[in-house]
Amino acid sequence: MIAIIAVQQVQSLRRQRVVLALVGTLLAMTAMAGLIGWSSHNTIVRVYDEAVRLLAADGQPAPPNPFLLKPTLSLLSNMAIYIPLIGALLALLLGHLAMADDESNGIGRLLFSRRLSRTSYVLGKLAAAAAILGVGAAVSLIASVASLWLVNRAVPTGSELGRLMAFYGLSWLYLLFFALIGMVMVLVTRRRSLALLAAMGVWLVLTFAVPQFTSGLRPTASLNPITDPASTSQPFFDVTARARPVSLSEQYKTASAHVLGTAADESGTDTARRVAPLAMSVTGLGLLTTRLVRRHDYSKGSSDD
Amino acid sequence: MGGPAIELRGVRHSYDAGEEVLHGIDLTIEPGEIFGFLGHNGAGKTTAMNILTTLLQPSAGHAEVCGFDVVAARQEVTGCIGYLPADVRLYGHMTAAENLRFFGKLSGVANTRRAVAETLDYLDAAELADRKLSSFSTGMRQRIGIAQAILHRPQVLFLDEPTAGLDPLGVRQLRATILRLNQDLGMTVFMNTHLLSEVAKVCTTIGVLNHGDLIYKDSIEATTRRFPDEASLEDIYVRMEATPA
Repeated sequence: MIAIIAVQQVQSLRRQRVVLALVGTLLAMTAMAGLIGWSSHNTIVRVYDEAVRLLAADGQPAPPNPFLLKPTLSLLSNMAIYIPLIGALLALLLGHLAMADDESNGIGRLLFSRRLSRTSYVLGKLAAAAAILGVGAAVSLIASVASLWLVNRAVPTGSELGRLMAFYGLSWLYLLFFALIGMVMVLVTRRRSLALLAAMGVWLVLTFAVPQFTSGLRPTASLNPITDPASTSQPFFDVTARARPVSLSEQYKTASAHVLGTAADESGTDTARRVAPLAMSVTGLGLLTTRLVRRHDYSKGSSDD
Repeated sequence: MGGPAIELRGVRHSYDAGEEVLHGIDLTIEPGEIFGFLGHNGAGKTTAMNILTTLLQPSAGHAEVCGFDVVAARQEVTGCIGYLPADVRLYGHMTAAENLRFFGKLSGVANTRRAVAETLDYLDAAELADRKLSSFSTGMRQRIGIAQAILHRPQVLFLDEPTAGLDPLGVRQLRATILRLNQDLGMTVFMNTHLLSEVAKVCTTIGVLNHGDLIYKDSIEATTRRFPDEASLEDIYVRMEATPA
């Protein structure tokens, strides 16, 4: 039964072009990140070559190529910004549609007048969302490898490939969180439009508002991954430092920077500690979705469809 | 199925707000009957059907379908019923055949492709198979709705306001379909409806629900004999609603 629901859900979302939109957008974001990385690389190399030529003319020694000091995967560092800003919105829509169609078309009444348990139903929905996001992440991974090859003319090393896989695994988890938010909001509100608005409200709060309470004292924090602020004895900063784990988008960006090797080195345990709140939130939301579906009254439809 | 097709004993139901919508319904429907469940809007007909199709649990009392308890043996009940809710739209972006195959699989139909083709043929709707439901008229959608309800050849078919939104031709087609399902496949039909002219033409038995109380239940023949002064079932119904038995 879980497989029947999951396959139907994937087919349904594919027909509604949601899968295409999600995979296409992730692909476009990857291409954009690669293009920006390539442009940045070319600019640095051109400036370096010019400097080397001028220094050579003066008979002075040239410093080493600065681009060689940058980690290879830094070409894709912008992906850690596009995922929370664009990918998360599409994941919200994915989760929303996965639940809302059955709610508003009265299909829930048909489904649960059959030999379908609510647990199987919700597991099927979760599996479909996870699979679609997984396909998106896999396509982006392949595109990333292609971008790196085009820029560096070299196949990524095993270590770089491992880091890329870890990054897209983390991104998949982050997107799954927002797909679950989309599902939960359909189950807790009776109006379809309100459910989407509420889900977008959660996205806005997590992406833009919460980081302002944590490391948002730095103006670029909402865009760029930053390291933990230095410890301080001032109570205000103490509160913001303690609130940092709940800032999931910030934790995602910082963990991504460490996974891609574009931020200062930290231990794997520290990175895992950053990912833990996200993993716990996804687990919690999965359980909440199951509980809500089990208690949901499918004998009624939503009020605006 | 040796006993009654449907049996309710002292069934009560209250929603969260606390107001009781069913006040202890006792009702027995024998296999092969076409039962018309009548009542004004808000009388509790859909609530009763939601209980019988396992979508709601009764607050008190006991309900059985095909001899199985709707709460304790939900799986068995759902295996022997077909259900067409009022105003159901299915998946509009999928074709009729895709919708039907999906619901067939959920009902445990072994060869869904064959079952879908046979069912659509039976309903003279084979030409609709490969068209998306979003392009269908109300009548076409209703035929596909019937198809999903009978795909697994249930013993009891529940129809909630099946004639709502249909034009006269659609109503006539639906009436013929219900009679064929009952005669060819031996299905017991439980139908919530407002259309009294159709009840008179299709149903073998009627029940009248008034503000959560079952105030009348008898065969059509017995009903017309019991109210010889009334010209039509509509007149009988109006009289019953005005003066509960």
